[in-house]
Amino acid sequence: MMFKLIFVKELKEIVQSSRFTISFAVCSILIVLSFFMGAQNYVSSKAQYEAAVQEGYNQISANTEWIGINHSIMLPPEPLMALVTGISNDIGRDIEMKGRGELRAENTRFNDEPIFAIFRFMDLEFIFGVILSLFAIIFTYDAINGEKVSGTLKLCFANSVSRASFIAGKLAGSFVGLGLALLIPLLIGAAILPLFGITLSNDEWLRLGLILLAGLAYFGLFLALTIGISALTNKPSTSFLISLVIWIFAVLIIPRASVLVSGRLVEVPNIDEITAEKSRYRTQLFEDDRPKMANFSAPEGTEPQKVMQAFSKHMSSLSEERTSKIQVFEEKINENYNNRKREQERVALALSRMSPTSVFSLAITRLAGTSLELQNRYMDSAKEYQKVFADFMTEKTGSTGSAGFRMIISSSDDSDEEPETIDASELPNFQFQKATFGVAAKGSILDLGLLILFNLVFFGGAFFAFLKYDLR
Amino acid sequence: MIKLMIEKELKNILLSPKFVATFLVCSVLILTSVFIGIQEYKNAVAQYEANQQIAQINMQQATNWGSVRNQVHRKPTPMQVFVSGLHFDVGRVSTISDFHDVKLTRSPYSDETLFAIFRFIDLTFIVQVVLSLFAILFTYDAINGERENGTLKLAFANSVSRAGYLISKFIGIWIGLVIPLLIPILISLLLVVLMGVPFSGGEWLKFASFVGLSLLYITFFIGLGLLVSATTRKSSLSFLLLLVIWVGGVLILPRMSVMASGQLVKTESIAQIEAKQEAYRKVRWDEYSSTISEMWSKRSQEMEGMGEDERTAYRDDKEWTWLEEDDAARKQVQIDVTANNRKLLEETRNKKQLQERIAFSLARISPASSFRLAAMNIAGTDIGMKNRYEESMRTYRDDFTSYTEAEKEKSGNDGGFRIEVDSDKGVKLDFGRNDQGLDLSGIPQYNAPIRTAGVILSKSILDFGLLAIFIMLLFGATFVAFIKYDMR
Repeated sequence: MMFKLIFVKELKEIVQSSRFTISFAVCSILIVLSFFMGAQNYVSSKAQYEAAVQEGYNQISANTEWIGINHSIMLPPEPLMALVTGISNDIGRDIEMKGRGELRAENTRFNDEPIFAIFRFMDLEFIFGVILSLFAIIFTYDAINGEKVSGTLKLCFANSVSRASFIAGKLAGSFVGLGLALLIPLLIGAAILPLFGITLSNDEWLRLGLILLAGLAYFGLFLALTIGISALTNKPSTSFLISLVIWIFAVLIIPRASVLVSGRLVEVPNIDEITAEKSRYRTQLFEDDRPKMANFSAPEGTEPQKVMQAFSKHMSSLSEERTSKIQVFEEKINENYNNRKREQERVALALSRMSPTSVFSLAITRLAGTSLELQNRYMDSAKEYQKVFADFMTEKTGSTGSAGFRMIISSSDDSDEEPETIDASELPNFQFQKATFGVAAKGSILDLGLLILFNLVFFGGAFFAFLKYDLR
Repeated sequence: MIKLMIEKELKNILLSPKFVATFLVCSVLILTSVFIGIQEYKNAVAQYEANQQIAQINMQQATNWGSVRNQVHRKPTPMQVFVSGLHFDVGRVSTISDFHDVKLTRSPYSDETLFAIFRFIDLTFIVQVVLSLFAILFTYDAINGERENGTLKLAFANSVSRAGYLISKFIGIWIGLVIPLLIPILISLLLVVLMGVPFSGGEWLKFASFVGLSLLYITFFIGLGLLVSATTRKSSLSFLLLLVIWVGGVLILPRMSVMASGQLVKTESIAQIEAKQEAYRKVRWDEYSSTISEMWSKRSQEMEGMGEDERTAYRDDKEWTWLEEDDAARKQVQIDVTANNRKLLEETRNKKQLQERIAFSLARISPASSFRLAAMNIAGTDIGMKNRYEESMRTYRDDFTSYTEAEKEKSGNDGGFRIEVDSDKGVKLDFGRNDQGLDLSGIPQYNAPIRTAGVILSKSILDFGLLAIFIMLLFGATFVAFIKYDMR
């Protein structure tokens, strides 16, 4: 009964304060703006992507033979990628396809358009992680000690109010009041997406919903933390300062410092050394093959056309042999490298989870499909496609197109007829394996759980701090 | 009198928990960031040196001049410890050869995506975001707070001029804020020296101008805080207002202006440009093969009707000329393809430069952008870094390829295969020979582009000037506001 009264009083106070009005207005503008910019960003990346795909097809269509075509696949932009950018701008987007051998993703967005890297994007991770958490502090830094300073706290306890119901009402009131307030611009923001012609699948809506819930949980833990600090101190200026220092450490320092320090604890082989090793091996194999190439001979008097065919076959078989050897070699090196790298990531991210901000970032990038796992997912999709592409090329040309040797035999008595060009639309389409709700939710369950745990701990902390609070 | 008031103000600040918190946070932040920055710089240098050796070894592995290729790398600069700028985002290596156009690939973040998740935190970021926030904390109640306490009236019970009061306030706060910045900076300089980061005279100069820039930037926020405090009655209101301005100016406006200019000027993605380049390349090489086959059929027509011996003699006589003709045609294709590649890139680059101009002009409404842009420019990790490197690498590529072409001609071995088909003699294969141990001592070496102090200065003068103008405007306005301030 008393709880309800305090809860309602708290709600009213929040809504009537000028601090709430101004901060809420700013938050709302920023949230809507971030959806707006995310949507625009998505639309323009999509246009860029489609133009590039088209240009690629045009370029292939000008060929007269399938052999030797230059086909690249690209990472398709996704709406959630624009809303929570994660590492999507830091990984290579374009992969030159070949029937066999190692694929390399190149052209990161930030390398191509460094202008965006200077200030980076204003995505939901930034809005929640940095801005809204700061506003959570501003909203509540004087929740308890402010009432004490103004004398209303004593007045309140002149009635028959238990401390427990007071603090519970306070916590619930501010959480519900501010949370609901934030929900409005968030929903407006989400409603902007269809206006830009962006259609989200049900799966994506679910993931977005979970992202927003995670955001609210993150906001909530900062509320509870600040209320707790307010219940541990006597002056609002002190509680603000303490909260701000905690905010700086949690948001700005711990995530970066912990990843950097612990990341360097695990030694990972130098990527350049590995690349060089691979290329040296490739050159070595080729040089070893030179005498074998020269060993080719055809019986005297064979028709030139036949000799060339036999020679082509000879070269191809040598090349196939080399490719297999290279593949074995590269797989061995890569496996070791990837294992070390995974270990490094595990250690670094585990330590960074000390800060709720990292937990939150890891959770929502996972849900948006832009966490570290994006790179693996993209490469896996590319490797899947490589098989399809190899089959297609074998069907068209008789080899996977990766053999590294081809010969075009033309003789001068060709008729003047223009050779026909190929139809690029015959190429199998690249299917990018999108993140799905099930997998993303499973991958982020640890972090979502941690967010809830942080909330419980801070709410509990605030509760018990107030029970011992000196009301005078 | 002013001296006394400054002393009082300083005492107030130095003994306040605000100061302790600022000092603590700044020290921890700055020292951690510099320490990590130095480690990362050293990593980058070690990697850079290892890579140069690798490139050298790879070149030595080549068995003929036709297959010599080099890899050149972007050189880390010591200033990136403090201003990492675009260092982690821009590619760091390009292949140099006849067949590849210059292209910086493999940014540090793309190789180590783990570190891209939270990114690095450098001194620029700390000053831009954290110190400006503290500047607001120091100033939001400088005037209206004293009014609320009643100390403002008390102070003016003495014979104090308003101007004198304002100046002493400003100086007191300024010193109180600069101490927590400068002490950790001095310690981090010590770290730089002790940990063996090569800081040359030029570097010291750059660092000094960076510190000067940071002081200007902080002065701006102190001025802003004083102005808002002198125009509002309640400190809670001035605090909220300042915070909103801070969020808008430091966190939002720079990002928004870049996004806006991205919408205004559309550019093509590199993938699209590369597809266009590939299309042209394809056309030129197809033309080349038909030209070559035409040339050979003409040559065989010339020999028609000759006797066996005559034909052989003619062929022996002409062979060298023919090969040279073929080679010239090949070189022409390579030149055309390179020229077209560069033309396409140039077009996009012009668009991008327009995009940058718009974005930065908009962003400079906020001094936070001016500060960041100038800092990056001083450190050399600015938006122009990529172009500077690619330009100098293109020049190097031209030197490199003309050198290897010349050596190839001298050695008479292009490393290619030659297949001759003769209706009488059948098929003859030539796999070239392996010139073991090429003498690479004369090969041109790549040197990182050097920026003169003049260029750096002329590029950052605008931002310095803007900051100075902002500060003067603020002080003028604060002065006027305070003269009119109602002290009751």
